[in-house]
Amino acid sequence: MKIKRILIANRGEIAIRIMKTARKMQIETVAVKTAVEPNALYLSFADTVFDNTEDSSDIPVFLDIDKLVDIALKTGADSVHPGYGFLAENAYFAEKCLQNKIEFIGPSPDAIYKMGNKTIARKIAMANKIPMASGHQGNVSNEEEAVKIAEKIGYPVIIKAASGGGGRGMRIVRKTEDMEKMFQIAGKEAEKAFNDPSVFIEKYIENPKHIEFQILGDKKGNVVHLGERECSIQRKHQKLLEEAPSGALNEKLRTEMGKIAVQIARAVGYYSAGTVEFLLDSEGRFYFMEMNTRIQVEHPVTEIITGLDLIEQQIRIANGEQLRFTQKDVRLEGWAIECRINAEDVQAGFAPDPGKIEKLSLPDDKYVRVDTGIQAGSAIVSSYDSMIAKLIVRGKDRKDALQNCKKALDKVWIKGVKTTLPFFRMLVRHPKFQSGNFTTAFIENLDQYHSNSEYEEMLAAWLATKLFVEENLSDESINIDFRNSREFSPWLLNKRISQF
Amino acid sequence: MANDKLQIRKLHTLSSENRKFSFSLPLRHSIKIGNRNYEVQLKQDDKYGTYILWKNRKYPVEIIRSRQNKYEILFNDISYTFTVETPFSLQRMKVLSKQKGKADKEVVKAPMPGKIIDVLVREGSQVLRGEPIVILEAMKMQNEIQSPVSGHVQKITARPNTNVMKDDILVEIKVD
Amino acid sequence: MDLSGKSYKTFAERREALKKQYSAKQAEKQHSKGKLTAQERINLLFDAGTFEEIDAFVTPAATPVEFGKVEKFYGDGVIVGHGKVNGRLVFAYAQDFTIMGGSLGLVHSKKICTVQEMALKMGAPCIGMMDSGGARIQEGVASLAGYGSIFHNIIQSSGIIPQISVIMGPCAGGAVYSPALTDFVFMVNHTSFMFVTGPNVVKEVLNEEVTFDALGGAEVHAMKSGVAHMIYDDEENTILALKKFLSYLPSNNVENPPAVPADDTTPPINEKLRDIVPDDPNKAYDVKDVISLVVDRNTFFETAELFAPSIVTGFARIKGKTIGIVANQPKVLAGVLDIDSSTKGARFIRFCDAFNIPIITFEDVPGFLPGVDQEHAGIIRHGAKLLFAYSEATVPRITVILRKAYGGAFIVMNSKNLGGDFNFAWPTAEIAVMGPDGAVAILYRKELAESKNPAELKKELVKKYRDKIANPFIADENGYIDEVIDPAETRKKIISAFEALNNKWVKVPSRKHGNMPL
Repeated sequence: MKIKRILIANRGEIAIRIMKTARKMQIETVAVKTAVEPNALYLSFADTVFDNTEDSSDIPVFLDIDKLVDIALKTGADSVHPGYGFLAENAYFAEKCLQNKIEFIGPSPDAIYKMGNKTIARKIAMANKIPMASGHQGNVSNEEEAVKIAEKIGYPVIIKAASGGGGRGMRIVRKTEDMEKMFQIAGKEAEKAFNDPSVFIEKYIENPKHIEFQILGDKKGNVVHLGERECSIQRKHQKLLEEAPSGALNEKLRTEMGKIAVQIARAVGYYSAGTVEFLLDSEGRFYFMEMNTRIQVEHPVTEIITGLDLIEQQIRIANGEQLRFTQKDVRLEGWAIECRINAEDVQAGFAPDPGKIEKLSLPDDKYVRVDTGIQAGSAIVSSYDSMIAKLIVRGKDRKDALQNCKKALDKVWIKGVKTTLPFFRMLVRHPKFQSGNFTTAFIENLDQYHSNSEYEEMLAAWLATKLFVEENLSDESINIDFRNSREFSPWLLNKRISQF
Repeated sequence: MANDKLQIRKLHTLSSENRKFSFSLPLRHSIKIGNRNYEVQLKQDDKYGTYILWKNRKYPVEIIRSRQNKYEILFNDISYTFTVETPFSLQRMKVLSKQKGKADKEVVKAPMPGKIIDVLVREGSQVLRGEPIVILEAMKMQNEIQSPVSGHVQKITARPNTNVMKDDILVEIKVD
Repeated sequence: MDLSGKSYKTFAERREALKKQYSAKQAEKQHSKGKLTAQERINLLFDAGTFEEIDAFVTPAATPVEFGKVEKFYGDGVIVGHGKVNGRLVFAYAQDFTIMGGSLGLVHSKKICTVQEMALKMGAPCIGMMDSGGARIQEGVASLAGYGSIFHNIIQSSGIIPQISVIMGPCAGGAVYSPALTDFVFMVNHTSFMFVTGPNVVKEVLNEEVTFDALGGAEVHAMKSGVAHMIYDDEENTILALKKFLSYLPSNNVENPPAVPADDTTPPINEKLRDIVPDDPNKAYDVKDVISLVVDRNTFFETAELFAPSIVTGFARIKGKTIGIVANQPKVLAGVLDIDSSTKGARFIRFCDAFNIPIITFEDVPGFLPGVDQEHAGIIRHGAKLLFAYSEATVPRITVILRKAYGGAFIVMNSKNLGGDFNFAWPTAEIAVMGPDGAVAILYRKELAESKNPAELKKELVKKYRDKIANPFIADENGYIDEVIDPAETRKKIISAFEALNNKWVKVPSRKHGNMPL
């Protein structure tokens, strides 16, 4: 193995995830310690910890390209894994690493750039005859052009940011009257989030399913897909729960979509792990949306049904090795569900609830895998994300996986912050979710993000009553002995009386 | 004239959605469902923290806030707000709410000029009198603006990272 | 009970008549408004079977001139007497709104004066439950004179026995001075109100429309005027809280407050205290978190919570013994002292001093509130009250400086030179003439003006100031602080300090009384 020491340019659970595989492969790891969380769990998994706590710069280290390259060189790391988020999809970072002879465990800077720019990605897809939501090629310059395009495509349309995703810079427009306002808002939001106000317009597909395919490619030009993930359980474009495979795909559709996913990846000479996102409408038609040029949060569900370690694959690919299997060898077995347990208040619209984790107890049954960066005593800091843990459950089929999920969720014990557990407990018992017939509109249309339990409310009421009784109606208060109020020294008594 | 007529024998605990749970006193450590009595216990240990033991299952609990007879309890990750009423105070609540007629609205204004750091409530959230609703930075310090009434938040005008002048309206609360 | 025979027959008949007077129908008049009757309030306050009523059968005085009807009810609209509250002798009077509107006439006022005088003679607390329409117009000046006697009695007993008023209905006009003169005022939300001049007159004279609640309701008095110290949403909670409150107070100014068995579940050393003050000096925290970890568990009873929230006052227990707490609240107005918080603190301190209750002060104050409003309204006079109250108090006084302690406010908050017995500081304390920003701006004005990067230079100088000047170690080394302590040991230090101060006695200079700025 040429790669001997990896700098993890990330923190939290993904840092631990990468380090666990590296250890398995006997590769050394370097982690970066920051002032924000100097006692974080991920630091204890690294062979070397680079202390960056004295850094008073305004830019967090995981977003600072020059500093990270500098740390890699200082610690003798020969490679960098960016994880997800932060600089994972920053072509300049990948480029800078390569310039400094540091291997970047991810795709080429060129592929990152091309797929990172949505307008370019669409152009490439169009050139390769990849099915897409009809849209306009290139960025839209102003409201008038936007209206013209929209009227040509046909409402509803969606305005999207050219340089980024995650729901920011995105606006759905259903009629011409709303276009001007939405165009401006989308542009401003895109500028704020991605430093680039450019937007493009495409047809908005109502209530689709969000299906994504995991891609793996090596530097020798071999590309395979590892099946799909069902990611329609989202709220405001944030994924909450993912499954692999999806109940909406049969073999035929899987093969078709998989082929297209591989095709797009090949079109940009893609290597390492990546994800191709599609929308699937109610008629079984699918449309390419975008490609994510990084390892994703929900990769574990694919790992479980394929039996592969995706981080290990990434490292091998970066090392120059050829994929040891072909598409024919890829087998999908069983079912996996991942619940993202975050420190958020589902009763307050998933508002973040930062704080300190006082108690933490996670299930360790055979059918459960927990990926976490948190331990009891850890602080959930609002400057990073609010993730506590990913609860990944497997089963022989979807029904089995759902059963196991119910059991696992009831075993999770977290005290100190509010969590999204009530949401998942409700979700796995919701008939629509159980049926599999849900779209990306499912969560948005729910009245409430948790279910009411009459018994639990009653027990809580009992507790409130008990507290009231203890504070106000307790017989203990009758046991005040007033005789002791007359017990004090003759010295004091004499003084008090003689003062008058 | 020593009389025991007003000894409190029963308590009615009301949830924020006006569901009523009645308990007779002295409070038993059991709850009756159908014909059976099931034991309830409040326990605490180092591994699990505070929890309730019921039908052989442990439920995590946290007492988030308690003020006079109002309690906010986090039970199995869901938070509930209750007020504990005696039979008479329950009757009194009914009498007073009939008299109230139009619901009162309370407007919370900035007590001094400064910058809004954080808004701690959402439109629709339930607040208790005294609960912090906005953090305002003034005089180089973070100040907690508390809700003057119990009710629910009707409108939020304050936005984080904006500057306000004295008496600018921050939040409007509909009194319960 | 067979009560045959002439004299017993009258006795029994009168008893029946009294019972009939307090019929269920009478009670319904109060219940339909969500209020309890005077009898019910008395029964809730006193331990079962201990209340002895006095003068139950008196009837109203004859009016000097026939004007308006006066009905011959027993008791003249007030129930007075004595009983045990949690086993301790307490005197109380409860006005009865169902009898002539609870209006005060000569006999009514005489009954109240009787219990007040008895309470003073026996050295026991006196509780007044007000629910009255005011002076009885029919009795004319006799009613007013009645009020005068009541006020006079309160003042004669002030500082000798604890006197508490509970407003459970209207209390208007001259009658409001009764509660105003007592030590603490409890009010019931929505069904009680206090004002000198009612909405009707306000409308007539000033043409201003205002409801009873908005003019003088419980929330107004708890939050704005500071007249009410504790308010509750219903009568039962009010009385239950009153009982709890009484358990912190002594019966008179010679005895100690009652001690409950010491609660050993509160650890004397608690590391959580080290985490409460944030590293960022501009970030606020809740001083009540500190208080709850230092005093015996669940014993903190806050007074005047809604008034001047930048200062926290209340009673608590340490090792079972009552202590008084005064603390700056950093999360409200940065914990500054202003007119309202100075008067709130001063009154509380003087009560504790009168009744031998030791005081702990938790200090984190950046100074006095600046502003034209404050200056013109006399922050100078009012701030001086707090200063006077501390210095005058001869009870044991301990201070713990948590963070900021700047300038005049440092002196005012029970500093050593004002007679503080033990003054501790946490390592996070910043004791200085003024805060770093102000000091740096003054001392390095020239350098900052000439600097190429003033913001950077200021940041550096502020850090230097914090490290070198605004720290507790200088004060410690010069004897202005007794000890810089580990926050985790605060409770332990306070306990041993109070044990040393158990028999503290300071001779007060003999004078009629000082001239406190008012």
